[in-house]
Amino acid sequence: MTRSRITRAGWRGAAVAVSVAAMMAACSPSNPDASDDASGPDGGAADADGDDDSGRPAGEAGGDIRIGTTADVVNFNPLVGNSRTDSWVTNLMYPAMMTINADAEKVPALATDWGYDDDGLGAWIEIRDDMTWTDGTPLTAADVAFTIEAIKEESLGTVAGMIGALDGAEAVSDTRVEFTLNRPDGAFINSVGFWMPIVPAHVFGEVDSVAEFANDEEWVSAGPFVLTQVDRGQRYILEAVEDYPLAEGGRANLDRVVFRVYPDVNTQVLALRSGELDLIANALPPSMVNEVAGDDSLQTYQVPSLGWAHMQYNMRREPLDQVEVRRALAHAVDYEAIRQVVLGGNAVSANSSVLTPTYPQWAEEDAEEYTYDPDLSRSLLEDAGFTDSNGNGMFDDLSFEMVYDSGDPIIATWAELVRDQSAEAGIEIRLAGLERNTYMDRTVNRDFDIYAGSWAIIDEPQSNFTLLFHEDGFINYAGVDDAEINRLMEESATALTVDEAREPLHEIARIVRDEVYDNVMYVEQFTFAGAAGWTGLDAKPSELLSVVNPQSLASAQAPE
Amino acid sequence: MALLRFGSLRLLRGVFTLWFAVTVTFFLVRLLPGDPALAVASPTMTADQREKMLTDFGLDQPLFLQYLSYLQQLLQGNLGISFRQNQPVLDILMERLPWTLLLTGTALIATLIIGLPLGVLAATHKGGAIDRAVQVGGVVGQSLFVPTVGIALLYIFGLGLGWFPIGGAMASDVYGWDAYVSIARHLVLPCLSLVLLQIGAYVLTLRTNLIDALGEDYCNVARAKGSPERTVVWKHALRNALLPTTTLVGLQVGFLVGGAVLTETIFAYPGIGRAIYESVGQLDFPVMQGAFVLLAATVVIANFITDLAYGFLDPRVRVQ
Amino acid sequence: MTPGTRQDAPGGEPGGDVDRTGVPTGGGDPGLIDLPEGDAGVAPRVRTWRAFRRNPLGVVSIAILGVLMIVAVAAPLIAEYPSGYGTEVLAPPSGEHWFGTDNLGRDIFAQVVWGTRTSMIVGLGAAALAIILGVAVGVSAAYFKRLDTPLGMLVDLMLSLPVLPLMILVAALAGPSVSTLVVVIAAFSWPEVARVVRSQAMPVVTLSFVDAAHVVGAPNRWIMIRHVLPAVSPVITVSVVLTASKAVLSEAGLSFLGLGDPSSWSWGAILHNAQRTGALSSAWWTAVFPSVAILLLVVAATLCALAYNDARNPRTRQDSR
Repeated sequence: MTRSRITRAGWRGAAVAVSVAAMMAACSPSNPDASDDASGPDGGAADADGDDDSGRPAGEAGGDIRIGTTADVVNFNPLVGNSRTDSWVTNLMYPAMMTINADAEKVPALATDWGYDDDGLGAWIEIRDDMTWTDGTPLTAADVAFTIEAIKEESLGTVAGMIGALDGAEAVSDTRVEFTLNRPDGAFINSVGFWMPIVPAHVFGEVDSVAEFANDEEWVSAGPFVLTQVDRGQRYILEAVEDYPLAEGGRANLDRVVFRVYPDVNTQVLALRSGELDLIANALPPSMVNEVAGDDSLQTYQVPSLGWAHMQYNMRREPLDQVEVRRALAHAVDYEAIRQVVLGGNAVSANSSVLTPTYPQWAEEDAEEYTYDPDLSRSLLEDAGFTDSNGNGMFDDLSFEMVYDSGDPIIATWAELVRDQSAEAGIEIRLAGLERNTYMDRTVNRDFDIYAGSWAIIDEPQSNFTLLFHEDGFINYAGVDDAEINRLMEESATALTVDEAREPLHEIARIVRDEVYDNVMYVEQFTFAGAAGWTGLDAKPSELLSVVNPQSLASAQAPE
Repeated sequence: MALLRFGSLRLLRGVFTLWFAVTVTFFLVRLLPGDPALAVASPTMTADQREKMLTDFGLDQPLFLQYLSYLQQLLQGNLGISFRQNQPVLDILMERLPWTLLLTGTALIATLIIGLPLGVLAATHKGGAIDRAVQVGGVVGQSLFVPTVGIALLYIFGLGLGWFPIGGAMASDVYGWDAYVSIARHLVLPCLSLVLLQIGAYVLTLRTNLIDALGEDYCNVARAKGSPERTVVWKHALRNALLPTTTLVGLQVGFLVGGAVLTETIFAYPGIGRAIYESVGQLDFPVMQGAFVLLAATVVIANFITDLAYGFLDPRVRVQ
Repeated sequence: MTPGTRQDAPGGEPGGDVDRTGVPTGGGDPGLIDLPEGDAGVAPRVRTWRAFRRNPLGVVSIAILGVLMIVAVAAPLIAEYPSGYGTEVLAPPSGEHWFGTDNLGRDIFAQVVWGTRTSMIVGLGAAALAIILGVAVGVSAAYFKRLDTPLGMLVDLMLSLPVLPLMILVAALAGPSVSTLVVVIAAFSWPEVARVVRSQAMPVVTLSFVDAAHVVGAPNRWIMIRHVLPAVSPVITVSVVLTASKAVLSEAGLSFLGLGDPSSWSWGAILHNAQRTGALSSAWWTAVFPSVAILLLVVAATLCALAYNDARNPRTRQDSR
């Protein structure tokens, strides 16, 4: 049981501190897995350069990569865990069927081929035949079918919201899984392929409830690395799997991936600069980007977000159901200032369009951003009948609560700007920075006036717009219910080519902007930092994939 | 015999203090505005889990019965379930406790070792430049803001000079003697920041008590008998000055473990203090509450040990 | 004037002699400066003040406190309220921005100035509440013999608890605001005051004129207000200063953890902002200036209290060795 070794060492150390005499007589802790240590302990003296974390098994070229994260893993169950650290660690162990390339296109990973039946009521995916779980069991289509059925049955995680069209899944051979759909859904395969981690049926199927399965020891996985040691609060060590056919050469270059936890981002960056970390998994705060980019011993990786940051106005509530009020709110904010100051220029305008520039094939070229014009906001509100009877510059009965995740420093910062600027236009905004889970709870229950947040990934607009703008949409927080949009969404979903789908999508984006159904503020450019000299690291768009995605770490190579 | 009686009285007092700490938190959490169910059941739990927690902690019952069942659960080692980690709070915290004990214990010992000569130096040079420097230094130390000091120490000794590792409690893959070396090296900077924080209190107290003691008759007698001043200070006066200083430990330990919250966070040290920091961000009330109870227990035990040491040192207790 | 703290060696009751801590408590620590004798026959208050004035550290400290006080009151005249954003992000200190700018280009000097106000409000508010509670408990314990043991026990218990974790728990439950901070900090600061007041009041209640008043049949309240309160008023003065300065440190700690009032600037809030945006390690000025402000206030308050005690204490005042 290696995971308790550190704790025991801590207890022993504590005993040492309490009694100085024990310090003198202290006997050495023994190596719990002596077989790894045939060459004897690494000399402490050799590490006297201030970095004693670089101890790697002698004689092997691969070595370690030490990656900083800001939080512990909360849940090792990939179907339930929802924090970033959870996905960074579990993504290395539970393969997805597809991944995305730098152009944000879906490309094969575990899957090799896929397609829909002609009537759109069936879909199929072919997977590789050379993958095995770490306990030697082959990874087959049955695992895929098991995973998706478990998600459907227990409504697990975000994927559950994407498979509304699914009736059932069946493994018709070891490498082919077929899905029955209750309606045509052009994004079903891509969504499931990209978002769903495959778990071993012979492990997850043994428990009563997949949702409550902690999966916190003796991991059986099929990624390039597998967890072997957990020291909560300190580190998570994953070791390379000998047989990983997706990597060039059939195995990751590295021997180990070590995630180290630094709750404070300042300390984390100091550790990177001192050489104790090789890479930081979380995106740097914008105010640190310049500092880090100017340091020759570091290199940065920049990727765009696949989603956007936005505000939504809850149209189920008065007076936000009036388009004038929403327009007034939209024109009261200086978006360029937010991008330049709060994000330090690490963001691009989406021209207030839900078709962002990240996806050039869809982007609306002639869209224009809401102008920053407090006077316009005021006159819109006056036209809508709002008055300022006491002459204090603020409209009467116009006060909104804006909810956001207080743990997100960027949104928490611009929330203050939005509040101050809206006050210029006579609109009072009350900030409610909430703890993350409370915030999610409030938004899922549509319990807010204004919501400030961001989508990590909105891919496949043809079908994902349904999630956003359909009356029953899973993430339709604002309460959009627009017959014209419904019609256009149907039109785009059945379109077979990008060119055909573009027009209805543009029309949807225009209505969304005119009616302020979703106020898209910017598309963030994430900056990740690592030590200079590493090769093979491949940053993928979005912070969820970051530089620590399985493809990147499987091909990473330490500097010479 | 007297010592035994003294010891058991102290033990009783420790248990009483702990009961008091638990009671204070229980009623604080229940009587504050807001949903008391929040203290044991997360809004994001499933209905079944929530129901179970509410029944376990008797939240459907009158306050006094709730209190009794809370004490009962506590005696069985049930501090509740963490909202975010879905694990028993006790398991989470027991993994962290040794590191906090190591850090605060070392800081306390280091403070005493460094503080003793400083206090003597100040007292024997009363009114001189050394005295004034020690006093002002002590006051400044108490007034420092821990995170700023922490980052500064990391910047200078970690990044700049590279003498000590940045963050963490020990390296992986080190065994035997190296493991101790690694633990010690990771300990230096966080420990130093805690020493800075509390050494002033000890130095100033020791100085005051030593000045008093040096003015007592027995010291004058010793001087009259021709003992050199050094002997008077170290043999006669210090022993008596140390006695009242030990009581300070009791007061300061609570302060020390509180300081660990900020220190452990900045230094990425995996102790209970950092667990508190993390649970604040997640509003994980069971962990916060449990951490407080455990820290209070630590303080009680530290006080008990100090009291016993006092009992051994003070002849009046032994003789009584 | 320092009975109660001057008893020699604790009488077999180790926990009892808690007044000898070096953390100045107002109980009369012999301290920084040993002053020459003189001033015989002058009223104690005047004598104290004269002695105090002769202590350079005390004078400097009180001057610093005075300046900080003025800054807090006159904040609107000194700097514009920091809001919105500026063009120069994270600019180091310069002629235009004396303390540099933060991650939104806001002037840190202005933040520190306005932070002085919030920090002072929290400090003084918490101190006032804590003093009221502490004096009430301390005087009652000294005056009503029957209450002494239970109240003394309560104070001892409160003092031995790890206070910061408890404050964190309560502040997190109650939600962040200035009033929460004041109440939470006061709720855990009063025992210190009670302890000092009790030891100061104890000898007064046994003095002959108080006994005489009892004999005459004066009501308890009258005796307390007429005799006991004046006797403890010097330690109250000192306690206000010390409790307020500790409250400022506590406020900074809680704000740093994100439990401060999100809508007002305090020194802790500036540091919290620097921490969460990663400026703490890359832009030293975001951390140094608010930290120095905290340091100045707390050090000045502590030295001031020390000097005041020295000046009041005949033993240190006339000590000659």
